[in-house]
Order: sequence, then structure tokens, then C-alpha cells
Amino acid sequence: MSEVLLPQHPPAHRWISAARAGDASVTQAVADPLFTGFGKTWWLALLITLPFVLWLFVAIAWLFYQGIGIWGINSTIVWGVAIANYVWWIGIGNAGTLISAMLLLTRQRWRASINRFAEAMTLFAVAIAGLMPIVHLGRPLYAYWLAPYPNTMALWPQWRSALVWDFWAIVSYLLFSILFWYVSLIPDLATMRDRTPRRAGQLLYGAFALGWRGSSREWSRLQTLHTTMAALGVPLVCSVHSIVGLDFAASLMPGWQESIFPPYFVVGAMYSGFAMVVVLAAAIRWGLSLQAIITRRHFEVMARILLMASIVMFYSYATEWFMGWYGGEHADREVVRFEFTGTYAPLYWALLACNCLIPQLLWWPVARRSLFILIPVAIAINIGMWLERILIVWNTLSHGYMPSLWRSFHFTFWDWSFLIAPVGLFAFLFLIFIRLIPSVSMFDMRELAHQEAAA
Amino acid sequence: MPPLKELPTRPNPAGRSKLNRRQALSLLATGMAGGLAACSKPDEQILPYVRMPERIVPGEPLKFATTLPLAGIGRGVIVTSIDGRPIKVEGNPRHPGSLGATDVFAEAAVLSLYDPDRSRTILHNGAIAPREALNRALVTELSETRSSQGKGLRLLTGRTTSPTLLRQIDGLLQAFPAASWHAYDPTDDDNAHEGGQLAYGQPVRSIADFAKARVIVALDADPLGHGPDQIRIGRGYAISRGEPNAFSRLYCLESALTLTGAKADERLALRPEAIERFAASLARELGANASATELADRERLLLRKITADLNSHKGEALVIAGPAMSREVHALVHWINAQLDAPVRLIDPIDRTPSGKQAGTLEQLAGDLDSGRVRQLVMIGVNPAYDAPSDLHFGARAQKAAFRLHMGEYADETAAIANWHVPQSHRLETWSDLRAGDGTASIIQPLIKPLYESFSEHELLAWLSGAEDAGAYELVRQTWRTAAAADFEAWWQRVLHDGIIAGSGAIAVSLAAPLLPPLADPEPHDKRDDEISLVLRPDPCLWDGSYANNAWLQECPKPLSKQVWGNALALHPDEATRLGLTPGDVVTVAANGRPIEVPVLTDPGTAMGAGALTLGGGRQKAGAIGSGVGANAYTLRTSGNRWHLPQVSIQPTGRREPILTTQNIVRTPEDVRELYPLYQLGQPLPGPVDPDPPSLMPPSVKPGDGHAWAMVIDTSVCIGCNACVVSCQAENNVPVVGPEQVAMGRDMHWMRVDGYDHGSADSPQIGFQPVPCMHCEHAPCEPVCPVAASVHDGEGLNAQVYNRCIGTRFCEANCPYKVRRFNFFGYADGEEYGNLGAESYRGQKNPEVTVRARGVMEKCTYCVQRISGARRAAERENRPLGPDEVQTACQNACPTRAISFGDLNQADAEINHKKADPRHYALLGHLGTRPRTTYLADVRNPAPLNPEGRT
Repeated sequence: MSEVLLPQHPPAHRWISAARAGDASVTQAVADPLFTGFGKTWWLALLITLPFVLWLFVAIAWLFYQGIGIWGINSTIVWGVAIANYVWWIGIGNAGTLISAMLLLTRQRWRASINRFAEAMTLFAVAIAGLMPIVHLGRPLYAYWLAPYPNTMALWPQWRSALVWDFWAIVSYLLFSILFWYVSLIPDLATMRDRTPRRAGQLLYGAFALGWRGSSREWSRLQTLHTTMAALGVPLVCSVHSIVGLDFAASLMPGWQESIFPPYFVVGAMYSGFAMVVVLAAAIRWGLSLQAIITRRHFEVMARILLMASIVMFYSYATEWFMGWYGGEHADREVVRFEFTGTYAPLYWALLACNCLIPQLLWWPVARRSLFILIPVAIAINIGMWLERILIVWNTLSHGYMPSLWRSFHFTFWDWSFLIAPVGLFAFLFLIFIRLIPSVSMFDMRELAHQEAAA
Repeated sequence: MPPLKELPTRPNPAGRSKLNRRQALSLLATGMAGGLAACSKPDEQILPYVRMPERIVPGEPLKFATTLPLAGIGRGVIVTSIDGRPIKVEGNPRHPGSLGATDVFAEAAVLSLYDPDRSRTILHNGAIAPREALNRALVTELSETRSSQGKGLRLLTGRTTSPTLLRQIDGLLQAFPAASWHAYDPTDDDNAHEGGQLAYGQPVRSIADFAKARVIVALDADPLGHGPDQIRIGRGYAISRGEPNAFSRLYCLESALTLTGAKADERLALRPEAIERFAASLARELGANASATELADRERLLLRKITADLNSHKGEALVIAGPAMSREVHALVHWINAQLDAPVRLIDPIDRTPSGKQAGTLEQLAGDLDSGRVRQLVMIGVNPAYDAPSDLHFGARAQKAAFRLHMGEYADETAAIANWHVPQSHRLETWSDLRAGDGTASIIQPLIKPLYESFSEHELLAWLSGAEDAGAYELVRQTWRTAAAADFEAWWQRVLHDGIIAGSGAIAVSLAAPLLPPLADPEPHDKRDDEISLVLRPDPCLWDGSYANNAWLQECPKPLSKQVWGNALALHPDEATRLGLTPGDVVTVAANGRPIEVPVLTDPGTAMGAGALTLGGGRQKAGAIGSGVGANAYTLRTSGNRWHLPQVSIQPTGRREPILTTQNIVRTPEDVRELYPLYQLGQPLPGPVDPDPPSLMPPSVKPGDGHAWAMVIDTSVCIGCNACVVSCQAENNVPVVGPEQVAMGRDMHWMRVDGYDHGSADSPQIGFQPVPCMHCEHAPCEPVCPVAASVHDGEGLNAQVYNRCIGTRFCEANCPYKVRRFNFFGYADGEEYGNLGAESYRGQKNPEVTVRARGVMEKCTYCVQRISGARRAAERENRPLGPDEVQTACQNACPTRAISFGDLNQADAEINHKKADPRHYALLGHLGTRPRTTYLADVRNPAPLNPEGRT
């Protein structure tokens, strides 16, 4: 990642580094590696992630066999890593659709380089996130009772529960993300169909390309559909994480019952999602040698978004502290005091450092352009955001209204398993994705190249 | 076997069987014989019910009165039995030792009944032996000893008040005049006996009436603590604190915090030596001729208050001394009580044989063993190999007797040193009788046939006396035949039904005024820096260790430390700092060269320079549950110093062992004030609080008709005894989780007792707050459940539908009171702790209550099965449900009647009177949850600062 990408003098084109990028060269740059294969590096990477996938399956099997007592949760802190993971992965999953939909609507052309893999990231992250509430259940085999299906007992879900809202939020968001991703994939699948030398590839890409021929009618329909979906997507992105926020806010517990939670969760989700996109973009750019397509300029814009989000996050934290004090409720003040001085205080200070302090580096343009700085910052943000989620769960539950039952959470091996192994699964799925599907939207890129050339 | 080879082996082409009728029948018979042999049906002819036996309706509970012992003294109980299985113990209101309530030991007895670790067969040198072998051995031994009039025969029992057993012992001693009987109870208070002897010149038993006392001074005594008299004293204490105009005042001087100290109005922590000096000073103030001793300022102030109070309440003032006090102090207390005309009744001891014989001591027996005078040692219901003072080396000395027979419920430590072991039947399996603390006798009647091949101690004594096979039933009836009125059978029926033998209580003895004992200053001990003064106490859950294999009691949080599954040395925090210790450090505690290792816990209620440790830990052969739990404090004990070891050294081992607790004692002042209001008597109380804080939500819906169940708990009389906790556990099939799961913070009790400390860092003032489910009208658990497993019923119960629950745990996350409990593992359902999954334990399960599975949330139901049972009974009789007809398990167990339960819609229900009390408050009421379980605030009655009205 250390290569000097930019020419010595800054180019006129900001979003594509080649002086003249023809349609064919863009397509070639993205599609060809899929036909020739990625060589040993890819296999090695896949081999590294595979044990994590197996680890996750073993962990889930053991969980189902033994019961959720294998985690460090207890009668006071009834929620733990699964819930924090769920919120965190949903947050990661937020950025892909947000980038595509919001940036599409606001006509940010630079999205073309990153939207495809960011959407894929969303899919995988939401799928993993959707797994968490199920494994978190005491009796996971009855997870389907959250769905309103006809049954002899004439029982429906209990609609006042934020968990039911959550169920719908995840399901609709996952369905939407799949469709949105797929719709924008169709022209590229057709390109793949036409270019792949293998019969199997032709059949498979051909089937999924739905007979795309590239007529102007088709392009026009596609654009209308895509824009319409983007318009639907933006509120959905906001609603999904608002509802996650309501899981906590629609309660009675000190530190949870706060009206700031829904917007604060949306910003937090965007924050961690963009941080993850930064990491993935750097990886793809290096792995697929797409320096010409994903430029430093891209990283700089994303860094600016991160900086803005970090300020909003800090503001949200400060609002929490202030309202905890201003509300005058003893239990609320106790929770704030506990955050700073209690059992998990080191983690809380680490959270503040990761989410509020370290990202301030990005005020400096040098830091924004240097991947050496930006990537560690993005990783720190992702760690900080996970800490934030687990501490929302731990602090309130450890320090509720009944001091007689104040307890601490103790990590077990299986908590670590459910924290680490899904990251491996995510990487595994992502590696499969880049191997099979063009990880940059070729038709969007070609359009961008034209626009850049015209500029 | 029928000739199988004759059966057709070829397929029959015609499709018709070649079997003739004979062969078919013989084949049928073979099949039936095989089928029958496969099931383990009894050999005898068995018949199904053709006509239902009277009274036995499957699934309908039957209740029987019986008696359960604690330290040899009886508490009358009524046991519920379903389909022949005893499942629940409740108090017997007629019995003076129960008054309708229970304690933890009575509640837990029903679990011990089903303990699979109980001894099941006769053992000879550890191997299973037939009863004939024991008979032969007994005949040989007895014929040998008969010639010498029983010279080598020694009988060792626990303290017993059983009239039948005492009659049999008399009989045995008549048959073998040279034999002798010894009794040992590890919780016996020898100093009290000797003190009585010292004061009155004869042994006496004193019974204090707490209900009549307005001023009580406890000198290192724990009358409200666990023991055979806890229920009676607790009730008296509650009565004495009912009327604001006649409110009692409880002074407590103690070396370490007890339940009495927790509930005291004035308390001072002092080392036992200092309390003895204080007692002497008190006697001097009251006119005794004792030398003046130096008292610290705080002690002097307290002495002034106590003296003034005692003097102004003659006839209503009472002083009691605890087991750690010397016999002189006990005698002194007798003298003081006589001066005060205290409400104390003196009766003859209740553990004497009909001919007045008193048991010898364990020390005498040890001496006899040493000198080789003992040939046959018969030990019944005792475990001296574990609980004898260690300087007696009982286990080693017992080997000097050639024939050692042990009878006990478990093949325990003493069974291991005996060459014969006979299983003793559980109290719920056998006939016997016992006396209550005041001498009132009652019958023990069996609820079930012995589960194993076990015997009654009466049967064993009959064998020893040479009477072959007299059943316990007949032996007990024989005892009472003379006492009964003319129509014995009618009398017997009534006695069994009532659970009490009316008029059998001891009559007060009239004695001359007690002598003032010579008051010697306690010997000063020069303590080294690493030495403290150690007080031993019976364990509030395991008692003397005999309950160690009872999982309910092992997991019952000790009231003041909330410790479970083990014991610990309690030290003052400053004392611990001085010794360089932090809670959880394992120390070597050594007295007279005998060390034990035990973890340290800090308790600000412990006196500086003192420590406290409970008995009952460190069992080696208790069973799968109790073996190896805790440290054995008996190792430190000597026959001279049973309860108080003046010089004990403490050495850190460097190891750590976390103290397992289920919850914290709350000490942060702001939380304490908010959650556990405590007022001083006479202090103006805040007015009633509006239960509906301002809200944007629509007003709460109140059910217009039907019942509205509610509970009020009076914290001022709650003594924190845990009877409600264990009662709830028994009634509601609450599982035990085991120490590892407790360490993970996952205990399952539906009812917990929170402790709040209103005192200062140095002098705690603990109040107890039992916390069941609040059954909130605006229950925070209900709207968050995605599958409607947490729902409200029309009578105000917050119900949990177990088979609908999917285990999101959102309800517990959102419960401000944290009263819900989650089955992280199948604690009652395949993943039980230890041997708790054994088949026999299933007999105890209440069939009216679901046994909850893994992954399901559960909680207090207000004993909905009892509500339903009472409703069905009322409907059958076509009458409305009475105002106080439903009694929850916790309410029923409470010795002080702190818990009331009833229907808010019935104006005359007790609960409505309690709700009108100005002390009434709702826990966290400002959250707008409108809990149906509410509380009455604690009230203390501290002495005025200037007792004599002068400065």
C-alpha cells in the first residue's frame, strides 16, 4: 500500500488517476483478474480465514448444544457480546447502502469506485448481524415466533416490543440491500457473461444477468429503478439503526432511556461503516491493483466524513453526560459516574480515545491522504465503536436501579469466539465475493471516466 | 421355557399359520412371561385400585402434622404430601415452637428426605452387610456385656428431648446398670447450663418472653438468629414492635454482627472479653457488689442508657447472654433478670430421662475410652468424628472400643470410624416424638415409608435392650399410653391431627433468688499482633454441619455476608488492613497449634480485635453436595473453649479464594436512603406518595371486578432469616445452580433478601428487605417481550408464560428490581449441579408448578398455584374467597409475619390495613411502575441521648 500512486503533479481528474482511461481499459482493469485468477495470495488469504469460519460453526454448534450459559452473561447483565456484535455489524452494514443511495441521490460521482464492494460489505455485515439476535436467544429454535405467521394458538408477536420492530427492520433492510445491490449488478454481470472464456461462467453470469443487452431502454429503466430504490433506501438506512437505538431507548433503564439514542445510533453506524469501507477499500485497492480507480482523493473524502462523524459522536456523548446530570435522577448520574470510574472505566476511556480523540488527526490534510495514518485511525474507530456498543450494554445493566445486584461481566472463551470468528467469516465471504463478482462497478466507472475526461 | 425350537422356521406358502391352538397359546404365554420379567414389578401380588381408598385422590394434596428437630428440640410442622410424596413443610400454628411459621432448616428438611446420598444399607467395616449379621453381632456383644451389667457399654446420642427415646434410655440403663449414656450436641450452650447451675444451684432452662419485653439487652447473644427458638423469639420480637406506645428497644453488644445486632436499636461491637467486663459493670450499676472496671467512653454512654432503661422498665426488661459468655456472666444475667423481674420463665431441663438421669458429657466418654473402659460404643444420630472438639481426638480414641456402632442418616465421618453402621430413617419417614423449647411434646409421624432400608433409633434401642423387633410406632404409643386419657385411640387421633400434645408443656419451677456469682475479671490475654479473639457461631444455613449435603441450604445466602457454598472468617475492614489482608485472601487460622485455612471477608460489624467464623464447613463425608465445602471450624474448638477462642493467630497463605456471594449489602448512603427508608420512633413520617407520577401515558387500567392481589412486606420486623427464600424454593421448584454458576452470577432464587446498611463505617445498622417480584401494574417487563411471554392477568398478576418464552432476556434487562431469573443452563432440566439430577430428588417437585427448562425466564408468581387452589376450593364450596385465605409460601414461612398477602378489592383484608400505614412505600415508586408488592418502612427506637435527663 505504500506505492506512490499519484503522478508527481496532481492530475486534473480527481476520481480516476489515469490520464486517459478508456472504456476498455476500465473494464479490463476490473474484470480480467476474475478470469485469470488472483494467484496464491488469494488462496492464502482464503486459507487464513477458513479456520475462523470453522471456529464460528463450532462455536454456534456448542452454543446450541450447551445453552447460552457458555457466555459470561449473568442474571444482572443478561445481555453481552451477542447484542454488542449485533449493533456493531448492523452499523457496519449501514455504510454500504448509505454510500450508494445517499451519494447517488446527491450526485457524488466518486461513489462509483467504492459503491459495489461497500454494498457487498453491507450484505455480509447485515447477514452476520441478523445471526446474532438468533444465537443470542435462550431458545433459538423458536426465533420464528417473532414473525406473524398463522398458527393454531392465534398468537401474534407483541407489537409494542422494540425487538419486533427490530425484526422487521433487519428483514426489510436485508431484503432491500440484496435487491439494491443486485439491480446495480446486472449490467456488470452481462459484461462478465460476454467476456468470460468458460462455459460455466457464461451460464451462471448469463442466468443472473437476466438477458441484459445494454439497450438504451434498459439503461434508462435501470437508472430509474436504481434512483427510486436509492430514494427508498435512505430512509431505510436511517430507520434500521434508529430502531436498533430504540432497543435501548424504549426501556426504563438509566443510561438507556434517552431520546438521543436513535439519531446517535444512525451517526454511529455511519461512522463505523465508513471506517470499515476505508479499510476494505485500501485492501481491495492493494489486492486488485486498482490504484487507478480508487484514488487517494477517495480516501480523503471518506476521512472528512469520518472527522465530521467523530465530532457528532463526541457531541452525542457529551449530551448523554449533560442530560444524565441535568435530569437530576440519581440512577442516571450514577451510571455516568460509573462509566468514568467503574469496573469498565479503562474501556470507556479507550472508547473516547478511539472515537473522539484519535480521529482528530484527520484535521490535517497529510493525515487524510496518508494511508499509513488513515487505516490505523479507521481500525481504531471500529474498535472504539464496538467498545461503545458493549459498554452501552454493560454499564447500564451492571449499574441499574438495584445496587444489591450490581455485578460485572466476565469474558469467557466463547464470548471471544463470537467476537472474533464472525470477522473471519466476513473476510471469507468478502474474498469469495471479489473472486466471483466485479468488486468495482464497471459501468459506473466507465461513466465516471467519461465525465472526468470531459472535465 | 416353552419349546421354542418347535416354532415354524419356514415361510408358509399357503399363507396360513401352521401353529395349532396349543402352540399359539404357549407362544402367547412366552411373550407375556418375557414382558413381565422385563419390568421390575414386585414379587408379591399387586392389584390396581378397584375402589379408591378414602381420602386419596390422585394429585390432591394431603396435609399431616408432624415435628422436625433442630439440635434435638422440636418445631411442629404441617407437611403437604401429594400422591404419597411429602413435598413441602409449613408451620403448625398450634405448636409453640412453630406458631405457624418455619425456619430454613424445617423448610429444607424435605429435600434431605430425597437425598440420594443418604445411607441405604447396614454397613460392616464399610461393606454392605445383611441385617442378620448385625443381629448376630448384637446378640454376641449383648450377651457378653449382660454378664457384666453393661460395664463396657456406652451410648452416645445427640441432645434429645424425645420422651420415647429418653424412656428407652432409662430402660436400657436399668437393664445394664453399669452402662452409661452420654449426649453431645455441637451447638449446645454449656456455659448457659453451668451458669444456671451456678445461680440457682440446680440446672434450669430459662425461657424469655420477648413479646412482653420492652427493653432487651443482648450480651453477645443472638436470640433472633437461627436456632430451635428462633421462630418463637422472632414472633415475640415482632409483637413487641407492633404498638408505637409499647415499642421495645433492643440493645446489643456483640463481637461480630448477628441478626440480633442487625435489628438492634443500639449496638456496640466489642470483643467478648470487653462484653464480659461490660456485663460486670452493668451488674454493679444494678446494685451488685462488683469491682469497677475501666470502660471506654462509648461503653460508658451505652451503660448509662441501658441502666436507665432497665431501671425504668422493671418487669418488662430482659437481659440475655450468648454462648461465648462465661458461665459467671450467665449466672450474673440470671441475677440481673431476677432484679429486674424480667419476663423469664424457668423450667426444668427438658432433656432428662423420666427417672431424672442426665446424660454424661463427651469429655467423660473420651476419658472412658482412653482408659479402656469402653467395649461397646453405640452412637446414635451424632457425628463426633467431625464435630467433637478437636482436643478430644475422638476419632482416634473411639478405636479403643472394640465394638463401634453408628446410626445415622448418612454414612458420614463417624460411620467411617465405626465397624457397624446402621442407616437412620429421616424424620419424615419414621415415628417418634419431641419436645418444643418450652417442653410441649408432639408426635413425629411418618409421611412416607422409608425410602431405603433404614431404621428408627427407637428400634435400635429396642434391639439393644434385647426386645426383638418392636416397631417405632408401638414404642411411641407405649410412651404415651399412660399419659393419655381413658380413650387412648381417640386421644391419639387428636394428638396426631393437632400435631401437639396439649398440656404437656413444662411447668415453671419456683426457685429461690439466684445467687450473685463471684465476679472475677476475665483473664487478660497478651495478644501478639497477629492474634485475634475468635468467636464461633452455628452457621445460619448449615447449622452444625449436619445440613451440609442439603443443596438448598448450601446455596442459601448467609443473611449478613450473602455468602454461599462456603464459610469465611469475618474481620473488621481495619483489622484486615492491619493484618495486611483483603477480602478473599486465604489465611491460616490457628488455635492451640491446630490450623485451618479459610478465606477472609470484611464486615464492619465485627469488633476490632475479634473475628467470627461459622461451624458446619469442611465436611469430608457429607455427600456429593456438601463434601469439601468451606473450612472446618471444629478443628479450632477445644472442650474448654467451645464458642470463644481468646487467642487465635492469623497468617496469610498468599493464596486467594473468591468469596461466593449472590448479592451486595448496599452501603452507599444515597441508595440506602432511597431504597430502604428507616425512621426513628416518633419521627414524623412523610405523607402518602401519589402512586401515579405525572405522565403523558393514559392512566393505568384497574380491573373493575374480581381480585387484585398485592403484597405488603413490613421491613421493620423482617429479621433476615431466609425462611421465605427456602420456602419459595421448595414450593416453586426453584433449582440450585451450584458454586460455579453462583460465581458467574446466576443464582435462581425467586425471592432474595436485600441488606441495607443505615449505619456508619464503624457501626452498621442493617435492615432487611425481602424482594419478590413486584407485580407492577405498569410492568416494564411486559411491553418489551417480543412474543408476549410476559403478560398481565385480570387479577393484577404479572405472569410469565414459560412455554412461550424464547429467552430474549429483555424483560430482565428492563426490570428495575432485577427479580427475574434466567435458566442459562438446564439447572432443573438435564444440566443439574452435582447429583441434583438424581431420580429421587424428583419426588420433592411440586406437581402444581412447572419445572422450567433451559433458555427460559422465570420469576415469582405470587404462588399462583395457591391462588388457584384456594379459588377452586371456594368454588367447590360455592362461597366467595375469604380476604386472607390465600397464603403465599414466603408469607407462610415468615416467623415474624412480616409478609402479608391479599386482595385489595376486599376492604377487610389485612393488606388494606397495612397499606394505610403511614410507613407504607413503594420501592422505586417514582418510576411509575405502580408495584403491587410494597413495603412498610423500618422503624428503630434508639435510646435518648441523655437517658437520665441530665447532661
